[in-house]
Amino acid sequence: MKKIFAILLFSPILYGQQDTIQVVEEVVANQSVFHYSENSSINAKDIEELSPVDIGDVLMKISGVNLKSYGSLGGLKTVSMRGLGSNHSTIVKDGFTVSNTQTGQVNLGQIEVDNVVGVVSSIGNRYNTVLPISAQVSGSNFLIKTFENTFSSDTLQIRCSVKYGSFNQQFAYLGVKYQPNKWFFSATGAFRKSVGDYNYSYQNGLLQINDKRLNNDYQDYNWGVSIGRKWKRKNFRFGYKNTAIDQGLPGAVILYNATQDERMTTNNHSFFADFQNNSKKLVTRVYANGRMNHLRYTDPTFLNTSGGIDVTYFNRNITGGLALKTIGEKLFFNGGTEFILSDLTEDGQNFDHPSRLHNISLLGANYQLKSFTFVAQLSSQMVFEENPNGLSGKDRFRINPFISIEQQGQGKMKLKQSLWYRNSFRMPSFNELYYNNIGNNLLEPEDANQINYGVSFLPIDKKLSVFVRSNVYFNKVKNKIVAVPTKNLFVWSMQNVGTTNIYGFELILDANYSFSKNWKSSITGNYSYQRTIDVTDKNSPTYKNQIAYIPLHTVNFDASLSYKKIGARFSNYFVSERYSLNENVIANRVDAFLLSDLTVFYRLILKDKYSLKLQFTAKNIFNQSYAYIRSYAMPGRNYLISLHYAFN
Amino acid sequence: MRLISLFFILTFLFSCKKKEEKPVVVSDMLSNGMVVLCEGLFQQNNSTVSFINNADGSISNTLFQDKAGRMLGDTGNDIQKYGGKIYIVVNVSSTIEVLDARTFKPITQISMIENSVAKQPRSIVFNGSKAYVTCYDGYVDVIDTTALVVEQRIQVGRNPEGMAIANNKLYVANSGGLSSPDYDSTLSVIDLTSHVELLKINIGLNPSALIADNSGEIYVINRGDYGAIPSSISRVNSSTDTEIEEININATHIVKMNNDFLVANYNYTTQTSGVTLFNPQTETVTNSAFIGDNGITTLYGLQYNPTNDNIYISDAMGFTNTGYVREYSSTGTFIQSFHVGLNPNKIIFYD
Repeated sequence: MKKIFAILLFSPILYGQQDTIQVVEEVVANQSVFHYSENSSINAKDIEELSPVDIGDVLMKISGVNLKSYGSLGGLKTVSMRGLGSNHSTIVKDGFTVSNTQTGQVNLGQIEVDNVVGVVSSIGNRYNTVLPISAQVSGSNFLIKTFENTFSSDTLQIRCSVKYGSFNQQFAYLGVKYQPNKWFFSATGAFRKSVGDYNYSYQNGLLQINDKRLNNDYQDYNWGVSIGRKWKRKNFRFGYKNTAIDQGLPGAVILYNATQDERMTTNNHSFFADFQNNSKKLVTRVYANGRMNHLRYTDPTFLNTSGGIDVTYFNRNITGGLALKTIGEKLFFNGGTEFILSDLTEDGQNFDHPSRLHNISLLGANYQLKSFTFVAQLSSQMVFEENPNGLSGKDRFRINPFISIEQQGQGKMKLKQSLWYRNSFRMPSFNELYYNNIGNNLLEPEDANQINYGVSFLPIDKKLSVFVRSNVYFNKVKNKIVAVPTKNLFVWSMQNVGTTNIYGFELILDANYSFSKNWKSSITGNYSYQRTIDVTDKNSPTYKNQIAYIPLHTVNFDASLSYKKIGARFSNYFVSERYSLNENVIANRVDAFLLSDLTVFYRLILKDKYSLKLQFTAKNIFNQSYAYIRSYAMPGRNYLISLHYAFN
Repeated sequence: MRLISLFFILTFLFSCKKKEEKPVVVSDMLSNGMVVLCEGLFQQNNSTVSFINNADGSISNTLFQDKAGRMLGDTGNDIQKYGGKIYIVVNVSSTIEVLDARTFKPITQISMIENSVAKQPRSIVFNGSKAYVTCYDGYVDVIDTTALVVEQRIQVGRNPEGMAIANNKLYVANSGGLSSPDYDSTLSVIDLTSHVELLKINIGLNPSALIADNSGEIYVINRGDYGAIPSSISRVNSSTDTEIEEININATHIVKMNNDFLVANYNYTTQTSGVTLFNPQTETVTNSAFIGDNGITTLYGLQYNPTNDNIYISDAMGFTNTGYVREYSSTGTFIQSFHVGLNPNKIIFYD
């Protein structure tokens, strides 16, 4: 029993993935091409001030995101957007997708953040890009831009940071980019390390329990090299990255039983290459990337015949594609095609050996009138699966539309409005299709429909800049893939059994105010309402109940103030109560929490060419006892001190 | 600054908890009711105990927590009453909770962890002054019911489940369930005087629950492999310690009702259930549709109360919703349902 649940909830197979190689994309860098009515972005300054330990700590600040975190550094972290489930979101790093066909979801806890210089989330229109085709058709995207894979104007750039924090957290990062003439060469290396024995507290009936997390050590390192060449209208990039991780898996906090001893090691190799040609009439981008993920999971005290579990998985993904965009006054087109080849092997005998060829093609037309833009897109997807060791998933062919109408900025307030509809799906992962008893090769893809109306305005003032956006949306997820006990209570298997309706509203605000040349302030905040309800079966006790772990209300509120070299940021994150199961009863309730971090920094050196900044962050300053997931206690108050050096 | 105040107002509003359900207070001395163990779900630490008051029909779903001042833990698999004490076997927390049967106040908590490995206890039976607990690590632990400590560990087969006693011998079902698909298919026989394993009897695949009939025969449910090999019942002679026959009845639960057996089966694939009446003297099914599927979502427990002559079915409602105890007369007629906690499995009856 333990094994089965462990696999479903916790083990490496769902735990999967880590950062891979990837790279830039100029399009990502240039946010103006995005239609800001829907996209949220976080810049390098904000990222640094948030003192994140992984990319999940940044993505949680974006409106509409639901973070699931199972612990501190290295712990499983996933995000989902607008109640759709994490597998509907694509992570795109420097213009290349970060995917894992074994688990279908990326463990954000394993993606380092010190090299990240910008994050953008994109839900609606993506027509003005040459992003990978798979990312252009997915439910939503998170676009991550790193230092090492971007062209810039300086000949030499250096980024370096060291950090030390509670529970013996240690971080070091060095990135060097040399750009003679039209070339760039970059090399980066980083490590993250933590004993992870953080203090936490929880209520056991009348007893207040204060304890330390065990078996939660984490260490990783990564290094990478990239090269790029720029011509007048062309550019080319190539890069490689290796990441290795060794970690204890602390598991759930089980009352009266602290015997966790599972471990996981991960080794990941990835490469990327792309070539982009920007002619006057046509932008062409050819891209390819691949990753090999080697994952070993051990549980030496599992009570089976062989006296423990020691299993290694090997997941390979190779992606190649072509993305095109025509340039036109009124009418232009975009589209392309992409192939993804992936497989999964296991060193034991119990696992199948599935492989998948997935093709995604897209054709879109964009018509621009004086104040309106109309977009219509159609994508087709073909999936072929093979499994020589057993039953195989079905081959698929699907067509999915996207349509939108936008009204451009009007008047002084630059009012924008947009209305769009997207139909998309996500494939079942290899684990969901094939994993021993759990997998179900008859699974259908999970369908998502999104309708969004958004409005934004941007009143401009010299001293004060305010940017306000709001969206209302309705999403419907069908054929939801969920685990159901199908053989006995201990053997759960994946089934398509759910329909979910999501009624959402969000309000996003960014305001910057400069009192004087030396005094600057900014306030950013967002409020997200997500009524995400189960509408599968009228007779079910969970009919119209809020889906497990989706909060009704999420609030981000950050305020920062700086005077010359000194600054501070007060960052707040509020999540309302959630339920650990779909039945909304008190016994399933997971308490609301407010997480507040305070950062102060001082620029020791601030010159034209280089800067040195000392920063101190107190996280969870009110020492809240909280959890995203029931039984996965999060750290109490903790501290992080860091030194950041930048040359150019 | 209006925004800041708006933010704090929002925060305040959302922090306010919804109205709590009015708690049911259970009297200091338990009587005339049912104590229901609700297993909860793995890693949620939400195993609970409900008390159904037969006099007024009131139900408390927090009995353990109210009486003990702390939570029961993760995955309570078995509850039994013996010698004025209640024993609750908590599998994932790896504890045995011992409570006063009348007041439900805790007497002690026996930790079933040895050398930093959780023994994962599953079920408990009693004989004389000893309690016998199957542990998933391949042992039966012997607990003295006065000292309340583990005195001895008797090695058996892989991942032992249910037990039964006949002819001064303890019969232990070795499931091998954690090595799926390489299940075990043996019954360990332990001498209750010497505490020595006498032999292993080969029976059907993946044995789980077992009971002894009035003539000393043992009936064991073999769960099969949940696929090509269906569940069945092995009949074992406790004098010769040999398997007499394997009866082709699909079963998940088996209990005694006077001289008969109630045999229940929950089919996980079709999600249907049924209760059969079986005569262990003639070895025949006397009523194959004793209690039908109607009104039962997920049959997860089956018990008979000789005092009021009623049958009780625990309904796990798909395993992720709070469950029900459904009451039937001894002729199989539905009487009423009680809404309890998550995944009810076992009931203790109080007169």
